[in-house]
Amino acid sequence: MAHKAHNGDVDPSLTTMLGTPVTNASGQLRGRVRDLAVGTGVDAGKVAGLVLKTRRGLELVAATSVLQTPSGAFELRPEAEVRPLRPDDNFILLRQDLLDRQIIDVHGRKVVRVNDVDLQWFSHNGDPQDLRVREVEVGLRGAVRRLLKGALPAQTLETLARRFPARVIPWEFVDVIEVDPARRVKLNIEHERLAQLHPSDIADILEDLPAAEREAVLTTLDEEVAAEALEEVEPHLQVSMVESLTSEVAAGIVEEMDPSAAADLLAELPESRSEAILEEMDPEERQEVEELLEFREDSAAGRMTTEYVAVPQTATVGDAIQALRGFEGDIETITEIYLVDETEVLKGVVPLARIVLAKPETRLDVLGEPRFISCEADAHQQEVAELFDKYNLRALPVLNNDAKLVGVVEADHVIAFLRSGR
Amino acid sequence: MLRRWRTRILLFLAVLGPGFITANVDNDPNGIFTYSQAGAQYGYALLWTMIPITLALIVVQEMCARMGVVTGKGLSDLIREEFGLRLTVIVLLLLVLVNFGNVIGEFSGIAASLDLFHLSKYISVPVCSVLVWLLAVRGDYKSVEKIFLTASVFYIAYIVAGVLSQPSWHTALVATVKIPPRSAWTHDYLFLVISVIGTTIAPWMQFYLQSTIVEKGVSVKNYAASRLDVIVGSIFTDIVAWFIIVACAATLYMHGQGAIRDASDAAQAMKPLAGQYAFLLFAFGLFNASFFAASVLPLSTAYVVCEGLGLESGVDKKFSEAPAFYWLYTILIAGGAAVVMIPNFPLIKWSITSQALNGVLLPVVIVLMLLLINRKDLMGEYANSRWFNIAAWLTAGIVSVLSLMLMVQQFRS
Repeated sequence: MAHKAHNGDVDPSLTTMLGTPVTNASGQLRGRVRDLAVGTGVDAGKVAGLVLKTRRGLELVAATSVLQTPSGAFELRPEAEVRPLRPDDNFILLRQDLLDRQIIDVHGRKVVRVNDVDLQWFSHNGDPQDLRVREVEVGLRGAVRRLLKGALPAQTLETLARRFPARVIPWEFVDVIEVDPARRVKLNIEHERLAQLHPSDIADILEDLPAAEREAVLTTLDEEVAAEALEEVEPHLQVSMVESLTSEVAAGIVEEMDPSAAADLLAELPESRSEAILEEMDPEERQEVEELLEFREDSAAGRMTTEYVAVPQTATVGDAIQALRGFEGDIETITEIYLVDETEVLKGVVPLARIVLAKPETRLDVLGEPRFISCEADAHQQEVAELFDKYNLRALPVLNNDAKLVGVVEADHVIAFLRSGR
Repeated sequence: MLRRWRTRILLFLAVLGPGFITANVDNDPNGIFTYSQAGAQYGYALLWTMIPITLALIVVQEMCARMGVVTGKGLSDLIREEFGLRLTVIVLLLLVLVNFGNVIGEFSGIAASLDLFHLSKYISVPVCSVLVWLLAVRGDYKSVEKIFLTASVFYIAYIVAGVLSQPSWHTALVATVKIPPRSAWTHDYLFLVISVIGTTIAPWMQFYLQSTIVEKGVSVKNYAASRLDVIVGSIFTDIVAWFIIVACAATLYMHGQGAIRDASDAAQAMKPLAGQYAFLLFAFGLFNASFFAASVLPLSTAYVVCEGLGLESGVDKKFSEAPAFYWLYTILIAGGAAVVMIPNFPLIKWSITSQALNGVLLPVVIVLMLLLINRKDLMGEYANSRWFNIAAWLTAGIVSVLSLMLMVQQFRS
C-alpha cells in the first residue's frame, strides 16, 4: 500500500509520534512533536497538524508536510508551511485534552481512560492525503507502549505491544468531556450519541464521572434527556449534581422530571436552594411539585405522581384515546385509565389493554373492573408495597379524604422504595 | 439558639466520616506497637511528639480533603491526568507493595490479639479474612461507613485503659508541652521519636481519604464541615495515641518492664500491673484496630489502583464487570492472611521492609500532592495560600526526611 512507504511500516499511534524530532529539508533540527491537533465539527477526527515545540514557541504544521526518514525522525518537505499555534484555534489537542483523561465510550456505555490514540494515513495514488484518528486505545496495548517507550527500540516495542490484546473505541463512539463551557461551545461538543442511550445507562455514566464533568455533560444534554437520566441517578448523588448547577439550569431539568421524582429531589435539597429552583420553574409544574412537597416522603402521596390520565365516567374508548394523545407526561408509564365523576371522585379503573381491544364507541365503565384497589394519601409506603404484592398491581390510584383522585403510585416507584430499604 | 446548635451538630455528624475514619485507621497494630514501645521504654518522655504530629496530620489530610472536594477526583486520578501513565504505574506499584505489607501487619495483629484469648491463629485469621472480604462485597457504602465509624468509637477502649492505669496526670500533661533536656536524646530515643512520627502519616491514607470524600460527593459548599471532620479525626486519633503511651508509661515503664516485642506484649505485660480490665481493653483495642485496618486497606488499594489505571471498579459492580478490582482485593486479603499463617514467617523482617518502602513512597506522594494543590487550573481559589504553602512544604520536608531516616535506621539494625 502506498501509504506504508510514506511513514513507517504500520499506522502510527500518538505515543510513537510524540517527542519525535522534526528537521527541515537541510537536516537542521526545527523542534519536536509536542502534540497532535485534531479538528472538530465537519473536520472531526482529521489531524489538522502536528504541534511542534520549537524555539519560537508552539507551531503547527500539516501532517502531510512531513516525511519520515529512515532514522525515525520527521523531515519537513521543502514546501511545508509552519505557522504558530493560536490560542483561538478550535482543535482538540490529543495529548493535552485526551491522553490519560476520562472519556465516555458511548458504544460500551461506560467511562474509560485513554492510554493511546491510534492514527491512520489515507493516501491517494501513493500521495498521502490526510492523517485521521482511527480509534482510541484504552487497553493493555496502549499502556505497554506508553510504559516502555524509550526503554526499548521502537520496532521491538511495537512488536511487543502487538502481542497484547487491543481494547479500542472507534473515534465515532468517543465522547469527549470538556469542562470549560466557553471551550465546549467552541469545540462544538454536543453529546449527540450519548443522548441516544437509555436514561439508566446515562445515569450510570454520570455516577462514574467527577462533579465538574457531570455538570458539563448534564448541561449539554437536552433537558428532557437530562431529566430522565437524573431520575435514575442514586439519590445522594442526585442532590450533589443539582447543587452544582445554576438554579435556572436546574429548574429547566427539574421541570421535565416526573413530578414525584422532582418533589423527592427538591425535598432533599436545602430549603433556600429548592425554593430558588421552584422560583425559576414554570407556574404549572411548580404548583404540582409544591403540592407533592407537602406530603410526607414515606407516604403514598409522597411516592405518587400527579401525571395520570383521568376521564369522565361516561366517556368512551374514543375519548380515552383522545385523552392519551393529549397527555403531556411520560406516556410509557401509563398502564390504566381512571374514571372520575364531576367532583373528581374515583369511580372506575380501566386497564390499557382492554381499551386497545375494544371498539372506539364502547363505554369505558363497562370495560372497567367492578371493584378496584386504591389507597389513602397518608398510607405508609410499606402498606402501598403490600397492596402491590397482594393484588399484583401495576399502578395504584391514591385518594384524598373525600375519595377524590389525587395521584397514582406506579410499580417502579415501589420497586425503587423496596430496593432502597434493603 | 438551641435549634441552631442542634442543626449544627446534626450537620457535623452527617459529614463526620472519611476524615475521622482515615485518621483512626492510622492507629493500626503498627502504630499501637510504636506508641506502646514509646511509653514502655521512655515513660512520658515522648508525649511531646503528639502535638506536632497532630498538626502534621491535619495539614496533610486537609489538603487531600480539599483536593477531593474541589476537583471531585481521587488522588490517583489526578496523578494519572496530570503526571502521565508512567509515574502513575510506579506510584501504584509501590503503593500495592506497601499496602500488602500493611495488610500482613493487620492480620498478624488480628492473630496476636485473639491469641491473647487463646484462639489459635489457624482459626482466627481465616475466619476474619472471610469476614473482611464479605464486609465490603456485601455492604454498600453507607452501611460500611457506619460500621467503620462505630469501629472508630471503640478506640475509646484505649482511653479507658489509660485512665485505669492510674498515671500521674500532672507529669503527663507537663511532658506533653515540654521537650525533654538534651541529655535525654540518646541514639535509641531519637530512633523512637522518628518511628512515632514516621508511623503517623502513611501514603495509603492520602489516597483513601481523597477517594472516600469523592465517593461521598461532598460539595464545595460543605467543605468547611469536611475540614472539621479531618481536624476532629486527627485530634481524636492522637488523643488515643497519647493514652496508649500514658497507659504503658504508668505501668510497664514504672515497673521497669522496659522494651516490648510486639503490640500484644503490651497487653500481656499489663495484666499483673494494671489488672484484668486494662488487659482486656488493650487486647480488645488491638483486635478492633487490626480488624478495622484490615477491612479498609485492601479495599482502598483495589479502588485506587483501578481508578488510576482506568479499570472498572466498585463493589456495586459484578465480578465479571470489574475482574481486576475483585482479583486485586481478594489477592490482598487472601495473600495477607496466608502469609500470617506460614509457621515461623519472619514477620519482623517483613514489617521492616514494608516500613522502608513506606519511607520511599511517602515523599513522592506528598510532593505530587503539593504540586497538584498549587495548580490554579485545578484548584482555582482553593489552591494553597502562601502561608499554608510554607507550612505544608515544611511539614512535607520534615515528614519525608524523618521517614527516610527511619528507613535507613531500620536497615542498619
